[in-house]
Amino acid sequence: MSRPLDHLPLADQAANNDLAREAERWERETRAPFVSGHPERREAFLTQALRWPIKALYTPADLKACGFDYLSDLGFPGEYPYTRATQPNGHRSNFWTMTQVTGFGKGEDWARRARYMLEQGLQGLILEHDLPTTNGYDSDDPLVEGEVGRAGLAIDSLEDVERALDLPFERLRYLMSVCNAPQPVNLAMIIAALEKKQVDARKFVLHIVNGILIEYTCVGRYIYPPVHGLRIATDCIEYIIRHHPNWAPLSIISAQLQPAKANPVQELAFSMAIAMAYIDATLQRGFDIDTLAPYFHFVINVDMDFFEGICKLRAYRKVWARLMKEHYGATRPEALKIRMMTSPTTIALTLQQPLNNIGRLAIMATACALGGAGDNMTTPLHDEAHALPAEEGIRVGAALQHIVAHETGVAESIDPLAGSYYVETLTKQIESAAMAEIDKILKMGGALQAIESGYFQRALGREQYERNKDLEQGRRKWIGVNHLVQPGEQRQIEIFRADQRMEDEQIARLRALRARRDNAAVAHALEAVRRAAREGANLVPPCLAAVKVYATHGELCGALRDVFGVHTPDSQLTGV
Amino acid sequence: MQAGAPRPLRILLCKLGMDTHTVGITVVAHALREAGMEVIFTGLKQTPQAVASAAIQEDVDVIGVSSLSAGHTRSLPRLAQLLREQGGGDKLLVAGGVIPPEDLPLLSAAGFARVFTMGTDTRDIVAYLAKWWREKLAAEAQAR
Repeated sequence: MSRPLDHLPLADQAANNDLAREAERWERETRAPFVSGHPERREAFLTQALRWPIKALYTPADLKACGFDYLSDLGFPGEYPYTRATQPNGHRSNFWTMTQVTGFGKGEDWARRARYMLEQGLQGLILEHDLPTTNGYDSDDPLVEGEVGRAGLAIDSLEDVERALDLPFERLRYLMSVCNAPQPVNLAMIIAALEKKQVDARKFVLHIVNGILIEYTCVGRYIYPPVHGLRIATDCIEYIIRHHPNWAPLSIISAQLQPAKANPVQELAFSMAIAMAYIDATLQRGFDIDTLAPYFHFVINVDMDFFEGICKLRAYRKVWARLMKEHYGATRPEALKIRMMTSPTTIALTLQQPLNNIGRLAIMATACALGGAGDNMTTPLHDEAHALPAEEGIRVGAALQHIVAHETGVAESIDPLAGSYYVETLTKQIESAAMAEIDKILKMGGALQAIESGYFQRALGREQYERNKDLEQGRRKWIGVNHLVQPGEQRQIEIFRADQRMEDEQIARLRALRARRDNAAVAHALEAVRRAAREGANLVPPCLAAVKVYATHGELCGALRDVFGVHTPDSQLTGV
Repeated sequence: MQAGAPRPLRILLCKLGMDTHTVGITVVAHALREAGMEVIFTGLKQTPQAVASAAIQEDVDVIGVSSLSAGHTRSLPRLAQLLREQGGGDKLLVAGGVIPPEDLPLLSAAGFARVFTMGTDTRDIVAYLAKWWREKLAAEAQAR
């Protein structure tokens, strides 16, 4: 229950007034005279990303000023508005699941690496695709020369997915796949491969990221115009909920907005608005919000500003709960609890003096834990800015999370920073500013319109420029970059040089497949995909039929290009 | 054009191939605009041919290529060659991004006047282009 502070009993009000008076007196009599003799070391104390002023001291008077109320703003763990935790016992029953994304090769190499990781006791894997695949091209397309298999797995046909998924499925419980623009094609190939391998889909969780709207906002791996991108994503969400209700059809990777320099308010508001665009589109397919909301997942980074990060995570839980309840009328607790994975950000890491990154990662992982960690936490590696992570980096990265979990005690009490005058003030400020920004986006017509008009992209572009100026002009000190720089430091950048043989082999395989398959059946299947695209039918079933007769990834994405066209944004729509 | 006010430098910024990292090029674009230069961006996933045509069509003075994937050894020399073949050989070519030192001679030989590697201060980029532009305008004035 909300209870404005001016309704407090008179005694409390008097106490608050006394406090405000006392705080003023302290400022006047004690702090100001000191500061006049000891000037402050900075002209302005500002939070890192939002550049909001930080006061020297926060007191209960600040909580009053921002209208903080314990019961309505925090409540209790596992209860609305979930600010303190979505789990009733925080991390006292179980720690967050500790995961790590690793770089890996491609094709059979990927399966070999995946089997090795499963043997090390991991139960889940993340499958990253190369840029030709995520941008919807076959390996022999002239546009993608030199990129095949470089940033991840190269997929041209169902045969490639079958090779990659040559895995012990009795041990693999969870597979996340990141392939946003061509999502129905990618989903169809994985489903077809699982069918061929007779894997029981109920005992296995496929998690597709399916995050096309963030691709338009900042990542850039889009193919079709945004309105079709959203429709394609919605087709996949609908298909999964109807056919594989135990799978996960969508992740909002706020952790992609953050490296594009979204500040915490933009990051929270843009990702919620984006989630709402998917929700609105999926509600139109006949689902109700209480069924739908638990299918949404978030991945959220924290940066080096400890309190901005912690308060942002607390605000995420509350804003999601409020939107689901107030905007959509959700009632099931499961619908009101945000599902999130947290991670230290890679953009805080430096190429210079790479061992310093271990310190940065430990601090950010601690911030993640103090912010509630979420269901999972993942940590990047200290040598990631350099090149392919080495084994030692992987070991240290894994140990970091255990150090935070077992040695620091930060997870022993639930939301232990609650009640801090500063933490509650900043949490509330982030929440209020994000709610106002969400409102503004909804008034524009929602996230899709904000993308189509370039609003998100230009906002991030400005932020990127301003934050870079902070660094160049020394307002932000970054150790090794513009502070404590080691003159003459030898930086070893290892650029991954493409292995031409691998690309040639992949292309030869693709051409052999095209020569040996039933090309009439392929043409027929591609036409069925075009028809579904034109007529608005769900795209997953015709894609599934097409991949089974070995229509290729590029051909299927091309068939959709025939109907939807391609997205070619200019400067206004990219924010450049 | 106003008498006395020199024509602002026109620069085409571009990204080639599948490389979609845009933070660096965005920061540079803002800095150049703030310094009064006219900035045109081609959008992502361009071919060298498309960039060469756009540069000639837009009559730009400078072309800046951002490369953060390892495609620069192939696509940058190809762009320079196409420009020469199509009558754009007088334009200044610069590049920036993740480009290891051992590749610099190759890009220099291909016709790139300057490569701004990771961590370059945008003020240095602005100063470099502004100086080049002043000298070019002065040379043109002298020729007239």
